Amino acid sequence: MTTALVELRDVRKSYFSNRIETPVLHGINLAMQRGEFVAIMGQSGSGKSTLMNVLGCLDTPTSGSYSLAGEDVGSLSRAALAGLRNRTIGFVFQSFNLLKRMSILDNVALPLIYAGVNRKQARERAQHQLARVGLGELARRQPNQLSGGQQQRVAIARALVADPPLILADEPTGNLDTRTSADIMAVLTELNRDRGQSIILVTHEPDIAAFARRLVRLKDGLVLYDGPAREGLRELAQEEAVNLAGSLSTATTEEQA
Amino acid sequence: MKFTQLLAESAGAMLANPLRTLLTMLGIIIGIASVVLMLAVGDGIKAFIDKQLAVLGSNLVLVQADMRKSAGARLRTGTVQTLTLDDAEAVNRLPSVVGAAPMLTMFSQISVGNDNSNTQVQGTTPASFRIRNLRMAKGSPITEVDVASVARVAVLGKKTAEQLFYKADPIGQTIRIDNQSFQVTGVLDNEGQSFDAGDIGEIVIVPISTARVSLIRTASPRSVQYVVAQSKSAESVNDMVVDIKELLRDRHRIRADDEDDFRVVNFGEFAKSGAAIATGLSVALGFIGAISLVVGGIGIMNIMLVSVTERTREIGIRMAIGARPSDVLWQFLIEAVAICVVSGLIGIALSAALAAAVSSSGKFELVVGVKAILIATLFSGAVGVFFGFYPARRASKLQPVECLRYE
Repeated sequence: MTTALVELRDVRKSYFSNRIETPVLHGINLAMQRGEFVAIMGQSGSGKSTLMNVLGCLDTPTSGSYSLAGEDVGSLSRAALAGLRNRTIGFVFQSFNLLKRMSILDNVALPLIYAGVNRKQARERAQHQLARVGLGELARRQPNQLSGGQQQRVAIARALVADPPLILADEPTGNLDTRTSADIMAVLTELNRDRGQSIILVTHEPDIAAFARRLVRLKDGLVLYDGPAREGLRELAQEEAVNLAGSLSTATTEEQA
Repeated sequence: MKFTQLLAESAGAMLANPLRTLLTMLGIIIGIASVVLMLAVGDGIKAFIDKQLAVLGSNLVLVQADMRKSAGARLRTGTVQTLTLDDAEAVNRLPSVVGAAPMLTMFSQISVGNDNSNTQVQGTTPASFRIRNLRMAKGSPITEVDVASVARVAVLGKKTAEQLFYKADPIGQTIRIDNQSFQVTGVLDNEGQSFDAGDIGEIVIVPISTARVSLIRTASPRSVQYVVAQSKSAESVNDMVVDIKELLRDRHRIRADDEDDFRVVNFGEFAKSGAAIATGLSVALGFIGAISLVVGGIGIMNIMLVSVTERTREIGIRMAIGARPSDVLWQFLIEAVAICVVSGLIGIALSAALAAAVSSSGKFELVVGVKAILIATLFSGAVGVFFGFYPARRASKLQPVECLRYE
């Protein structure tokens, strides 16, 4: 049976504070096949981060269904969710999120340790994975001895080490300069192209989203656009040009008045 | 997650902030050291008492001449010698008494040539050797014939013999006690404390008859200072004491409402009060230890809660990459237990060092036993589990999303 890797049906998410409901996602429908490279864009407040947390099984939807790699996420216990994250998702975060006290090697090995792989084997596989992102030599270093770009490569190695079907990258270039950002995006693009690695990339930068093949734009908790990245980005650019022109003319009118 | 991995992580966490870890550990270290010392002191005092009793001779009581109360006026102890040789013989004939020996003691100047020393001279009978468990290293003890013939013979304690004669054989040599000649017939093998707290190695024993004639002026020709009596068994000591009291009150014609004119010292009672002191000390140390362990445990709980808060983001990262709540629980629990067990081991080492220091003074033997070490280790682990569980559980209940947002 071939199912979609990711399938969201009418996913809604509200936050409650003092019994006051604040809806964030208003019914998201989204399906993603294996091998896709999807960028999710949206301004702050669009529900982008919440969708990211739901997709990453870090948070559960208030209503609607989410199935990841054939598993119904909504029905799982916390421990089962942890297991699912461990097996199916590799996280790459904006702030790298490496554990400070551990060597690079142990950081990369950690998902395998939680999967129950013994220490020696986990380290061997971690070393192999580090070599693939070009950091084989730095395995014994501590995270703070590495540059930002190197730390993000370590994070990618950690995301890949357990061979998860999905990589979830949340603003992976947010803390990096332009050149390093391009490096990191090249790594991700290669993974998708050469190994068919499914990737979801959350970003607010059109330049970064342009590396993906498919674009999902969110606005006010709903999907605004879902289609090829090139067209989506062109549309976005036009909208922004119109907005800019609009605000310029408003400004001019105000000046004249 | 494997146990070795958890241990490695705990070690890393403890070493990440060594000063804080050490300060946290202090309460447990002191608590465990107290508990271990408590056990060692208890055992040590018991061993000490047993040893002392063995040196004194077993199942002994000492009957001591006391003042005679005449018409309410108390006279100084020893001014009127109320015990006599006849009393000693009567005590010896009691069915509950295995043996009894009268004694006269004094401090005298002992000299051989130019060497001299001042030590305790005990005048007694041959029965004394048997009931006080005195063994001969050389020569022979005082005999009945010596007593009957008022012989000027003496048996030397080991140390006195060495002091006066060095390596030479003292048997047959002449010593002077208060400037009167005595011939040495034997040397004692015993060491340790005598019942009057003197050193048994330093005493000189002479026949009681000779002592009275040559060395000590007594109130009456037949009076003695002490009678040492031995009972058949440890259980019958108290019965013997009752018999002796009854006999002596009868012999001394003491009316029912008058007090005794003698005192009976039961060494078994010393042992009991010694054991009571040991128990008291143990309880006191145990109490300090228990309080310290509780306070230390609370300290650990506090630091673990701080640590959970500080490491919220770490917990979030771990959960994101696949740590189950139980993995997080175990991680923090093992960390708390590791801190406690390491503290426990340091506490044991500390108490062993203290025990060794006390033992090396030679006065008292303190041994930290295997039993104490096992109890202490298990106890410290239990403290870790008890006080580490709540923080660990709290960590395991954290939500990954909130943790990842935490700065």
